[in-house]
Amino acid sequence: MSMKPFARRGRAGAAFAALTTVALALTGCSAAPVASNSDGAPSGEIRVLSNWSGSEGEAFAAVVAGFKAANPDVVVKIDTVPFDQTQTTLTQQFAAGNGPDAAIALPGIVRQLSAQGLLMDLDGLWDEWVGAGEYNDSLRAIAQGAEGKAEAIYFKGNVNGLVWYGTSKAADAGLTVPPESWSDFETMLDSVAKTGVAPFSVGAQDVWLPTQWVDPVLLNVAGADAFGELQRGEISWNDERIVEGFTVLSGLVDDYWPSDALDTGFSDETCGWATGENMFGFNGAFVNGIVPSCDSALAPGDDYGFFTLPSYANEGTPAQAVSGDLFIGSKDTKNPVATRAFLKYLGSVEGQSIWAKRGGYIAPNMKVPSDVYPTVNDQRAADLWPKDEAGVAGYDLDDWIGGEIQAIYRDALVDLIRSGDVDAFIATMTEADTRSGDQ
Amino acid sequence: MTARTTRSAAHDRRATKSYRLRRAATPYLFVGPILVVFAMFYLWPTLLTVGSSFFTWGILNPWQTQSPAEWDFVGLGNYGETLADPTFWNAALNSAIWLVVFPALVLALSFPLAILIWSAPRGGGLFRTVFILPMTISLAAAGVVWSLFYNPDPNKGVLNAVLSWFGLEDLSFTLGPLEFHAGRWLSDPGVLHLGFADIRFVNLFIIVAAVWTFVGFGVITFSAGLTSVDAELLDSAKVDGATQLQLVRHVIAPSLRPSVIVVAVISIIFALRTFDIVYVTTGGGPSTDSEVLGMLIWDQVFQFLDSPQGGLAAAVAVVMSALMVVVSLPYIRATLRGRS
Repeated sequence: MSMKPFARRGRAGAAFAALTTVALALTGCSAAPVASNSDGAPSGEIRVLSNWSGSEGEAFAAVVAGFKAANPDVVVKIDTVPFDQTQTTLTQQFAAGNGPDAAIALPGIVRQLSAQGLLMDLDGLWDEWVGAGEYNDSLRAIAQGAEGKAEAIYFKGNVNGLVWYGTSKAADAGLTVPPESWSDFETMLDSVAKTGVAPFSVGAQDVWLPTQWVDPVLLNVAGADAFGELQRGEISWNDERIVEGFTVLSGLVDDYWPSDALDTGFSDETCGWATGENMFGFNGAFVNGIVPSCDSALAPGDDYGFFTLPSYANEGTPAQAVSGDLFIGSKDTKNPVATRAFLKYLGSVEGQSIWAKRGGYIAPNMKVPSDVYPTVNDQRAADLWPKDEAGVAGYDLDDWIGGEIQAIYRDALVDLIRSGDVDAFIATMTEADTRSGDQ
Repeated sequence: MTARTTRSAAHDRRATKSYRLRRAATPYLFVGPILVVFAMFYLWPTLLTVGSSFFTWGILNPWQTQSPAEWDFVGLGNYGETLADPTFWNAALNSAIWLVVFPALVLALSFPLAILIWSAPRGGGLFRTVFILPMTISLAAAGVVWSLFYNPDPNKGVLNAVLSWFGLEDLSFTLGPLEFHAGRWLSDPGVLHLGFADIRFVNLFIIVAAVWTFVGFGVITFSAGLTSVDAELLDSAKVDGATQLQLVRHVIAPSLRPSVIVVAVISIIFALRTFDIVYVTTGGGPSTDSEVLGMLIWDQVFQFLDSPQGGLAAAVAVVMSALMVVVSLPYIRATLRGRS
């Protein structure tokens, strides 16, 4: 008698266990994406994290559509997060063991995730690309993880340090563009400043914007060697070439920036020069695709264009400042075949040509032909992209360093803008960045 | 007979004992589920946070109780480092500004508003609704609304539009230790140099936005408190010739003391754990001018991946929590006193 309840309990337990097992098995079956078809073609579902919205979001969706057309058995789910929350979201998801299959990332976060062994090894892909002349080793170096392996692909390039202007406004002001020398450049800016309106429209409220001023000025004043050494932590921030670079930058801020720069955001900056409130903007090539949102009647090339900074020391063309977006693959993805195929497509001529045709984009793949770019501004910007080993470029310092030094750098830069105190900036950065050991 | 009586007495004793046990256990059965929830979602994370503050770890390689081989014990090192870090003290100062100014403004605005609404002959419900409405907006949304309000462009920002009508949009002056720049509300509105510290006014302008959303809470609480004011006492005071101000000071205010404690303590807790509205309006900037302790923790955990600072963030969280407990004590005491 006394065994009956236990027997009942035992049967109930067995039934529960069986049901649980079946449920788990079913869940397991449905949750695990199919890695590939029997013929080896990618299939199943992958989740991709990106941060593009608006026209850029549409362009990325077009690239994804191209991938789907080439891989009809793969379902790509795109999670879009705000630009400034990309790192946080990515970190949270990886920390929770729920990282996306593929995600947009900058070099700083690539190295951090790589150091934890979270990223897919993409050396094989890069070997193919470099062997075929689609990329060079300097571009490959940007995609390297913590231990020198390529653990990202370079999807979206950008050239920075372009001085944007409205053609008719510049002509009305009697300006000769481009200026041939640094002194011509300053004379031109002084003539604009005399009108009582700051020459540049600047959206320093978004702190990545003033960081985009630093790279071209440092590359121009301190030189590409010093820039690279600073980036790699081989010299300290108190190196005299670096100090001179920031002194020149601070002079530009004092003399030619508007007083409300720290209250102005990116879109207001772009529209500030595009609609003629200020004479110039100073930003990357991608703004070519943003200008129509200020005034859809403005035609690239005819109504607005750009020039690069003249050499500070009259020593030939300064090294080009570049930046861009990488994509990583999760090492623990449940669908490595489709993830790798997706990353390969993003790095390919075919994938990058889709966005290049839409404009506001520079293809890092060196085999993407110039004639795919839709406007003269896009083509001119694409021509500035390093095309071979001889091309000297400096990758975005802010995006490269990442982590705590990046946060301190951004804060110190805002203080420099407000106070003009170069010594304080250099002291802060010298103390914060101890990689060179020259404190 | 005797044996039966003895058995009966023993049975009664057992029954009484069982009844007592059941009676004693019943409350725990009711409280048990919530205690389990409390233990899982409050106590355990609290213990983990305190425990993890004695180790070095980062979000991508977190401290785990089940992996002692991977622990990097630093003892009180994280607390020492936190207390020696100027970044912590900058965030602590900004949090202290919140701690003082936010509750003060909430009390200073909601108390008279509640009394005015209470004394209004009609339309009290409408006024209460007007002041409560901002509470229905999330702080992030309120931050966006106020960022537009503070926009330096007079064509977009209401505040600067008003200033430009009076020709004051570029008003800027220095008065002893005080610097003020009108128009740059969220970038560089000014600073008060105290010698040992700088009070950055950008904090005040974010606080104003938060007060806008929170003042409705004070109005509700004080309105509820006003219903308990002794009407006979009020009438007596009026008959004795008390003015409105005297009525408020000597009759109404003492009756509202429990409400004042509730509003003050909740405001202080809100001020100390503020994050979202700062994140949306300034992101802690410009530079670190408006960085509060909540943002510092966020930076340490999610931004500084190259130098894992999860342990430091846990230490800051523990210090913050200790502070919260201390400032909450008057509220807890008042609540317990009210019950007893």
